[in-house]
Amino acid sequence: MELTLNEKRLLVALEPAGSADAATLADMMDTRREAVVQYANLAGERGLVDVERHVSRRYTLTGEGRNYAGRGLPERQVFESFKDEIPMRSLQAHPLAKIAIGWMRKKGWITIRGGIVQKAGDASYGPDETAFALAGENGTIEDGEGIADLLRRGLVQEEEAVTYTISITPRGRELLAAGLDLQEEVGTLTRDQILSGTWRDLPLRRYDVTKLPRRAYPGKIHPYQRLLDEMRRVLLDMGFTEIAGGIVQSSFWNFDALFQPQDHPAREMQDTFFLGERWPLPAGYERVRNMHEHGGETSSTGWGGVWSIEKAEQCVLRTHTTCLSIQHLAEHKKPPVKAFGIGRVYRREATDPTHLAEFEQLEGIVMDEGVNFRHLLGFLKEFYAKMGFEKVRFRPGYFPYTEPSVEPEVYVDGLGWVELGGAGIFRQEVTAPFGIEHPVLAWGLGISRVAMLRLGLRDLRHLYRSDVEWIRQMPIYGWRR
Amino acid sequence: MAVITLAYRYLERLTGIGRETIIERIPMIGADIERIEEDHLDVEFFPDRPDLYSAEGVARAMRGFLGIEEGMPVYSVRPSGITFSVDPGLADIRPCLGSAVIRNVDLDEEAIESLMSLQEALHWAIGRGRGKVAIGIHDLDAVTPPFRYIASPRDRSFVPLDFDHEMTLDEILTDHPKGRDYARLVERFQRFPLIIDAYDRVLSFPPIINGELTRVTTATENILLDCTGTDRGAVMTAVNIICTAFTEAGAAIETVTVEGEEMPTLAPAERIVSVEECASLLGISLSPEYMTDLLARMRFGAEADGDSRIRVLVPCYRADILHDWDIFEDVAIAYGFENFDAVLPTTSTIAEEHLTTTIAGAARSVMVGLGYIEMIPFTLTNDRVLYENMQRVPSPGTLRLLHPISEEQTIVRTDLLPLLMEMLQANKHRELPQRLFAVGDVVEDCATYRRVAAVSIHPGADFSEAYAAADVLCRELSLPCTVAESTDPAFIDGRRGDIIVSDRIVGVFGEIHPPVLKAFDLEHPVAALALDLRAVQGYPALPGTPSPGGR
Repeated sequence: MELTLNEKRLLVALEPAGSADAATLADMMDTRREAVVQYANLAGERGLVDVERHVSRRYTLTGEGRNYAGRGLPERQVFESFKDEIPMRSLQAHPLAKIAIGWMRKKGWITIRGGIVQKAGDASYGPDETAFALAGENGTIEDGEGIADLLRRGLVQEEEAVTYTISITPRGRELLAAGLDLQEEVGTLTRDQILSGTWRDLPLRRYDVTKLPRRAYPGKIHPYQRLLDEMRRVLLDMGFTEIAGGIVQSSFWNFDALFQPQDHPAREMQDTFFLGERWPLPAGYERVRNMHEHGGETSSTGWGGVWSIEKAEQCVLRTHTTCLSIQHLAEHKKPPVKAFGIGRVYRREATDPTHLAEFEQLEGIVMDEGVNFRHLLGFLKEFYAKMGFEKVRFRPGYFPYTEPSVEPEVYVDGLGWVELGGAGIFRQEVTAPFGIEHPVLAWGLGISRVAMLRLGLRDLRHLYRSDVEWIRQMPIYGWRR
Repeated sequence: MAVITLAYRYLERLTGIGRETIIERIPMIGADIERIEEDHLDVEFFPDRPDLYSAEGVARAMRGFLGIEEGMPVYSVRPSGITFSVDPGLADIRPCLGSAVIRNVDLDEEAIESLMSLQEALHWAIGRGRGKVAIGIHDLDAVTPPFRYIASPRDRSFVPLDFDHEMTLDEILTDHPKGRDYARLVERFQRFPLIIDAYDRVLSFPPIINGELTRVTTATENILLDCTGTDRGAVMTAVNIICTAFTEAGAAIETVTVEGEEMPTLAPAERIVSVEECASLLGISLSPEYMTDLLARMRFGAEADGDSRIRVLVPCYRADILHDWDIFEDVAIAYGFENFDAVLPTTSTIAEEHLTTTIAGAARSVMVGLGYIEMIPFTLTNDRVLYENMQRVPSPGTLRLLHPISEEQTIVRTDLLPLLMEMLQANKHRELPQRLFAVGDVVEDCATYRRVAAVSIHPGADFSEAYAAADVLCRELSLPCTVAESTDPAFIDGRRGDIIVSDRIVGVFGEIHPPVLKAFDLEHPVAALALDLRAVQGYPALPGTPSPGGR
């Protein structure tokens, strides 16, 4: 058993008397009483001393109490200020009359009849007065009869006094008898001690590993960012090139290039954040116009009607990252193209626990000679499996710019099949105007959905307005809901 | 999205199959089941399939999909002899009219309810909120043909649906609930669209409200349908969908002659598609016979046209077939999505991270090394947080939303520092010190780029801490920078520095000004820094950034 130096000193101090209170020991050891109690508790855990905690209640006079000290309670003072009887009016002139009259009546010392106050019955000292007198003499008084009344009247106040009595046990005595080395223990080693080798002879303080250290918090990547990085890593592993782009997009790139008709509800101000800025259309925009109006050179009928340049130029906060995919494809027409982007997208939605006006979206595209619908399903299966969703199934879906379209669902324990993202093959109406000759497999998903599943969040807003404590407590690795 | 209520009993009667099979298979034709109830099912169908917005339409599709009744449904029409004229004055107002007569309907309360819900779903999906198409359904026997679709003076009056007294068209726009909802569609015109009968009685004021006169009730036996709008194709689609749904329920369709044209024909459209193109898009092997079978299940008319092509008849109610691939998707659905064997292509590609990610990652690793915790603040914020609280003048390049949805989110951030100050405020009750950082996109003059910012709050936070952190960041990112005293009003004078690269201020650091602390309700000093990551060598320009000031 290795004692700390302070425990040893405590045992030495206890040796002569065998038992002492903490305050006395503090004097002897030249330290604070609290420190002694701490050493004693440590030694107590080893069975070397017994620590007894005493709580006593004492009562001291309050300010009001002190006013009456030596002269007696108000009712006694007033009672003694007149003989057998006195007119009420005269009695009321006494400065303490207000308090006293009520108490005198209550204690049965007086009767009042016709405006005359008359002494009556026994007016001997009650226990409250005895206690009060005693408190007056000593400044404090122990608990006893009458105290409760004084406490209620606010004449005394309660004070709690805690004392500790520490006594050495036989085991402590034994240890003491065997002799204790009182040499100072070393906490932090110095450079000199290490270089000179004197550390060999020093008593190094031992630390209790069962006591937790002070909590330290490391700098950390946000749990959500770690999830984004994980997804990025999965796509890089699968051979995809990362793309990035602006948050502000023209309606042309955000909608028209993706064959969203100009009267589509998503293009109304209720759903999309429109901006006052305009963005000139790229060269060759006419092919997109023709596609909308009559299907261009493809087997499509187009949407019909007249396509408006005005509408296409209006800027929006991008509503999806697909606008980046089509721009990337327009610049990279030679197969194969495998690209992905992760970026903030915007929807004009009121913010609540499951809806945000902005959130991250992931998007992947594959353009290559001969890729087909089965390959799309293959990529989806692989991606979701790498994200930890082993069971995936596919249902028909609808997205304006893909045909065929798929809604993938993943199986989540406790939730069942959960729809996660959307996918499809870009319509020819989307690819043809940009001279893209091979099929483009595309899929996307709102990552906040995955974040809720993976981070166990109930309120999406916590991703973007995070509690520092949540991040401090969330392990960097290995935490899975 | 259109959520359709399907009563099991009715659907079972129309399809002849049990509810378990319906519930199990309905998602596989393209639908999301919203709720499964005791006696009905709420299903969301996709906006490209308005023909599925009625129980009759769903039953028709399910009968094919489950192999009960395959091939294209054939609808016959007879002439009713009724004529309908269209006033040329409507050319710039609401020129298109489609019409039909539906005979021998048998409507109970439930059927009327279902009819209304089909009508509303079509208004939403095809009608674009009644602007493009609006549908009116009338009790034919309450009025007398011929009918006229006219551009009427605005002071003409009639009794609108749900009212018991006459109102002028103008009054309807202000006093009738439907009038208020849809006034924006017509109020700019001098004259309003109106449908009247031989005796000038008003059937409808499209696209606002019908007249009480032709209200459809359980006693109604014959229906006059009007669809008005701005797009002829969409108008006729609505007519076709409603007429065929009624036919499925047992009614008979008769044509109306609109300006000399007899309609509806309910005739299919024809397309010749390539088997090979379909097979290669889907990645499955297909013979013309097999593909024909699959199409028949999706209720198309299909027959082989030579060895490699198929002649497809597209039923008149299908509004979604714009392109051959739309037909191929139906082949995939009939094949069964669950039957596709998912495979990965063999082409090998080399991945590449985007340089902005690499640079942002470097900034992140520096800040984490310094003990900072990452935050991912919103990009939408407001002037109070971004500028007023910071005592800063708004950047002229600040992007403002035309129609914000809340006062909290009216502009796009141009800096991250104010948002981190807001984070400190939100975490005021948490243990200090708190050191937070963020790396993310900001937008100025329409250009998106990345910034990094960091804040440290605790009783000892000061200029030296901010300078040390800024210095580390600049060194670790190899910024060829110098430092000069700053004038940024968010910081204390004499305790602030600008980071300068090539004579441009690219960052700032220092001790936050006490009124700024107060504005964010903070009680301890804050050391802070912010840096434009475009200052890092090699930071790429993002493609497709609009030129500033291009208004």
